[in-house]
Amino acid sequence: MPAMSPPADVAVSLIQVAKSYGDVEVLRPFDLQVAEGEFVVLLGPSGCGKSTILKMIAGLEEATHGEIHVAGDLVNYVRPRDRNVAMVFQNYALYPHMTVRENIAFPLRMSRRPRLKRSTIDGRTLEAAEIVDLTQYLDRKPAQLSGGQRQRVALARAIIRQPAVFLMDEPLSNLDALLRADMRTSLLDVHSRIRKATLYVTHDQIEAMTMADRVVVLNDGRIQQVGEPHELYTAPANTFVAQFIGSPRMSLHPTSAGSDGLLRFGGAPLVIDEVIAPDPAAAMTVGVRPSALRVTDAGDACLAGRVRRRDYLGSDSYLEVQLSDGSSVMVRTDADSLLESGDDVHVDAEPGAFHLFDEAGDRVCSASARSRDR
Amino acid sequence: MTASRLSRVKLRAALADEARGSGLRTPRSALALAYVLLGVGVAIALLPFLYVVSTSLKETTSLFSYPPDWIPTPIYWGNFESLFADHPFVRWTFNTLFVAGAVTGLKLWFDSMAGYALAKMEFTGKRGVALLFLLSVAIPISALIIPLFFVVRHLGMLNTYWALILPPLANPLGIFMARSFIVSIPDDLEASARLDGASEFTIYRRIVLPLIRPGLVVLGMFTFMLQYTSLIWPLITIQDSERQVLAVGISGLQSAFLQDWGLLSAGMLLAAVPITVVFLLIQKTFVTNDLSGALKE
Repeated sequence: MPAMSPPADVAVSLIQVAKSYGDVEVLRPFDLQVAEGEFVVLLGPSGCGKSTILKMIAGLEEATHGEIHVAGDLVNYVRPRDRNVAMVFQNYALYPHMTVRENIAFPLRMSRRPRLKRSTIDGRTLEAAEIVDLTQYLDRKPAQLSGGQRQRVALARAIIRQPAVFLMDEPLSNLDALLRADMRTSLLDVHSRIRKATLYVTHDQIEAMTMADRVVVLNDGRIQQVGEPHELYTAPANTFVAQFIGSPRMSLHPTSAGSDGLLRFGGAPLVIDEVIAPDPAAAMTVGVRPSALRVTDAGDACLAGRVRRRDYLGSDSYLEVQLSDGSSVMVRTDADSLLESGDDVHVDAEPGAFHLFDEAGDRVCSASARSRDR
Repeated sequence: MTASRLSRVKLRAALADEARGSGLRTPRSALALAYVLLGVGVAIALLPFLYVVSTSLKETTSLFSYPPDWIPTPIYWGNFESLFADHPFVRWTFNTLFVAGAVTGLKLWFDSMAGYALAKMEFTGKRGVALLFLLSVAIPISALIIPLFFVVRHLGMLNTYWALILPPLANPLGIFMARSFIVSIPDDLEASARLDGASEFTIYRRIVLPLIRPGLVVLGMFTFMLQYTSLIWPLITIQDSERQVLAVGISGLQSAFLQDWGLLSAGMLLAAVPITVVFLLIQKTFVTNDLSGALKE
């Protein structure tokens, strides 16, 4: 039975969409809706299927199963050019034999119904070039532009179509770090001006966290979690998300309830914060983010150990601390901390700092550690 | 000498030392040897041509004088006059240019379209078609001449331009060359054009053709040269002298009993002029396929 049409304010709706190549299932059936004006980032490691989702929406790949709606219309059998979407490719995909002006104007020159007047095309080309600040380069060829400028040409070529949805496939992945930061800001500026639904693919969690209204985390062809950046960081749905989001990674350790019925982390007993308590007999995994831990005096500490390594990052330092039970944990500390490898330290944790995951890796609840003298 | 100038001089000296030490600088003797060898190569290539020029400007009676005169005195224009007065040389030239031009144009069109289909489109039997083309390249042309002759005769094309134009179009080598040029164009360019609203034919004409132009020029030059100098096929399919091509016409200037070397040389020299002009006109397009700026580097 076909699914119901999505609500009017939904720009993209994917209903039970799946993709297989022969017997290889690259995307398991999933649902996803993107609202008008929303900036959604598809985040995941290489080969997780995130670019395939964009290509299916664009019509460059056929969905094996499910329905794809763009601006309320079912588009599964609609040609790419009639889907009302524009795509910025992983590489720029600019036409090297055309000038910047011709590149930007190309989609309008291709438009048949209605066929546009030359003056209209020129006007809209200039408008799109102004949005991405490229007006002084209109007569250059792509080879005469820098990487950032080429990417802006690709963006202008997408903007000029005035599509319902923008699809961006790792548009900043090969730019250097400084340019990437600038381009992130430019992209967000453009998005806030035109306010169109955007699906943005990246494997860079910083891009995802800084740009997205919502992030869709993918792995092995499955959606792992959909949520706002803060939600992914503070309440990861499973161990994959927990480790994929945040740098340095969340420290994860297997644990199980002791004879007193308490779960422990580095020797410290954990107090379950939520109503849903884990099965005390089950094997669990406990995770804690370096930012939720701090070096403290012996009196306040819940964990004790010895510094194995110190990573200096300028604004902060991260200590790898070997705990009394032999496990290691990363702890964030001040950049000017004097602690060095071999020093004994005491560590305290924020309330709710610990995340408990069941045997399958799914999040159960959060927990706090009891101080050692409590 | 100021300090900065001094340091510049030192730097230059240091760079020169380094260049010498690392063998970057070519010794004069090696350079001289290279020029001598290149000069010998040029002489070997040019001498026969100069001999043809010299022979075309001599009367038959003075051809075999010893020692040979490289610069004929007086210069004899009779061979050239005879070409135009006694033979339909202009007609042969027109026929050759027309046939070579038509074959080249049609072949570039068909080969690039077939190459595009094989490189970028998915269809049932694609691998089979490619394999069939590849196998037909392996059949020597001499094995095809007799069956091809019967086909052309059966179709009533003997003694027509069609007999010269149609059979070369079936040579699939150009399809493979075009395919290899088109395969190097990134799929994202094509996908981008498709999203921008371009039809399959527009992608071929507006995106692919401009990008493979240097490759097509090479293929066109190759095809044109091959047709321009083609001898055996026109010889067996065209009997009418008015429809004959240059290579056959010139070879007919000699008979079993009389070799008019002067006339032959004049014919060869004039026959080389159009193809040299064509080559000079398009040589600047002999550049690499320039995809720079299309993609991230």
